[in-house]
Amino acid sequence: MEVKILDQNGEKVVVIEGRVDTVTASDLEMKVSQIWSTPAITLVFDCEKLEYLSSSGLRIILSAHKQVTAKGGKFILRNLSREVRSVIDLTGFSRILTIE
Amino acid sequence: MEKRLVLKNEISEINRLAMFIEELGEELNLAPDLVFNLNLVLEEAVSNVILYAYPKEEHQEIHLTAKKSDKNLIFVLTDSGKEFDPTQAPDADITLSAEERPIGGLGIFLIRQIMDKVEYQRIDGKNVLTLGKQLDE
Repeated sequence: MEVKILDQNGEKVVVIEGRVDTVTASDLEMKVSQIWSTPAITLVFDCEKLEYLSSSGLRIILSAHKQVTAKGGKFILRNLSREVRSVIDLTGFSRILTIE
Repeated sequence: MEKRLVLKNEISEINRLAMFIEELGEELNLAPDLVFNLNLVLEEAVSNVILYAYPKEEHQEIHLTAKKSDKNLIFVLTDSGKEFDPTQAPDADITLSAEERPIGGLGIFLIRQIMDKVEYQRIDGKNVLTLGKQLDE
C-alpha cells in the first residue's frame, strides 16, 4: 500500500494505492491520524487506485469521518471501484458517508 | 478440487492468504467480485485467529482447506487456540448514525453477509470454522 497526502483546492486529499488490509491498515491510520483532528478540514480519501479494503480499512474510514465531523469538517470518499463500493454498501456506510 | 494452506499466527501471513485466494480464483475461474469477497471473508476469519486465539509470542499453525464440490465452495479453517465461536457474535447494527456506530465489529458481519453457510464446531480442542459459498455457474 502507498499513501500520498496532497493539498488540492483547499482539500486534504489522501491518495490510497494498493491494499488496505490487516497488515497495512495501521500505516494508513498513523498517517491519516496526523491530520484528521485539524479543525474544519475537508478530508478526502481518493480510492481510485485502492484495490482492496478489509474491515480494518472500514474502521479507519469510520474513525476519520467521526474525527473530522466532530471538529466541524467534512469527510469525503472519492473514486470508489465497484468492488470497494459494494463493501461500503454492504456495511451501511453509504448511508452515513459522503461519496463522490 | 481441494487446496490447502498452512499459516503461522503472524499478521504478515495475511499476504500469503491473499495469494492463496488469488490462485484459487484463477484455478476455478471465479469472477473478480467473488475473489474480492472471499479475500475479505477469509482475511476476517484468519486475522481473528492470528490476533486473538493464542497468547502473544506463542508460535502456532492455522490450517485452511478450500474444496469445491459440485456448485459449492467450502472453506474449513482450523486452529488449536482458545475456544471462540464467531457465529455467536452479535451482528453490527448498520442502521445507526455515524456518531452512534461503534468502530469495529464489522468482520463477523461481513462473513455472514457474504457467505451462504457459516458453521462453528469445537472438535478435540480445536476451533473448526466452516464457510460455504454457492457458486452460480
